[in-house]
Amino acid sequence: MEESYSLSAAQRAKIRRLSAQQELSPDEEGGELNIIPFLDIITNILIFVLATIAVTFTATIDTTPPSSGGKGVRKDIQSTALNLTILIVNDGFSIKAAGGNVAPGCTGPGVGIAIPKKSGQFDYEALNACASKLKSASPDFADENQFYVTANPGTDYQTIISVIDALRVDMRDKSKTLFTDVAFKVPL
Amino acid sequence: MTSPAQGSSKSAPMPRFKTELRKAIRRNAAEPEVNFLNITAMLDMMTIILVFLLKSLGESSASVPQNDDLRLPKSIVQAQPSEEGVVVTVSKSQLLVGDKKVLELPGRESLAQTGVGAQEKRSGPNDVYIVKLGNALQSARKLDRKVREAKGLDASTSEAIIVADGSTPYRLLIEVLFTLGSSEFGKYHLMVMQGKEIPH
Repeated sequence: MEESYSLSAAQRAKIRRLSAQQELSPDEEGGELNIIPFLDIITNILIFVLATIAVTFTATIDTTPPSSGGKGVRKDIQSTALNLTILIVNDGFSIKAAGGNVAPGCTGPGVGIAIPKKSGQFDYEALNACASKLKSASPDFADENQFYVTANPGTDYQTIISVIDALRVDMRDKSKTLFTDVAFKVPL
Repeated sequence: MTSPAQGSSKSAPMPRFKTELRKAIRRNAAEPEVNFLNITAMLDMMTIILVFLLKSLGESSASVPQNDDLRLPKSIVQAQPSEEGVVVTVSKSQLLVGDKKVLELPGRESLAQTGVGAQEKRSGPNDVYIVKLGNALQSARKLDRKVREAKGLDASTSEAIIVADGSTPYRLLIEVLFTLGSSEFGKYHLMVMQGKEIPH
């Protein structure tokens, strides 16, 4: 009785054959394009582009032609104006304003370098404080936003830009705007 | 052709055969495996981002390659760069208007003393007008005037974007600005790199 329920060899062979997983032929398989190398390239380019953008955050500072020539696009400044002029020399900043040359230490009119170099470097903090002091010296200067820059012929462009930055806002009171418009003078 | 149940007396009956067959099929059935990840959607997205970035970067005049010959000065200014104007590039070694090279520059010592040199000036070493730059700017001005007229902008003057190396001497800078002013360029945008503090 027990023997009649066991599978025969033929039955086992048939079960093996029918239960085996059928391999799909290449035609039926539906081939996938291997795009992983392409994806690698795209990812690398994307990262490179993003990294490149990160180092090129630029800005622009607007100005007009230097005062020794060009077309008359500079604003006319009244005689009561401060007419702040920064002269960048090898020893520091010489400052000229409505009252004449500014004395060393920004203490008043007088001869000499108004803001001498400190430890061999230009003192932008002192320049900022001096500009703030000069601008607040009279209510007539409150609306004046333009200043002039001139420099020794060998002065770096970076120093010029740093001077423009130093005169933009009061470093002690960031809400107080000082001089936002710059005009260049041709050195004599 | 006999059925397995009828083949011999030792063969199992049909229900038993079918049960065994079902068990074998279940046993051999492979787990549904993921043969590949479908990344097509992500690939589409990344390609679009890449094309967008390359396009915006290529069209922007604010994209300035930084190298030893041209390194922009740093500034705390946070304003967006102006993209209106003819680009004048002053590197350590050359002067360009747009992509066109105008002049090879001498060494820095010479530039600091006499600018680009007396032979390139209108009337000797003390002049600040660079003749070759002026000629290149005049043709750029003609084109820019037509562009400004077509755009409905004020065509009486043009604008220039100055892309200069941070070590450019003031003398050369003034010569370039003066020549621009003499060529009907009335407004300049000095391009700088944004920084957190004033560099000493």
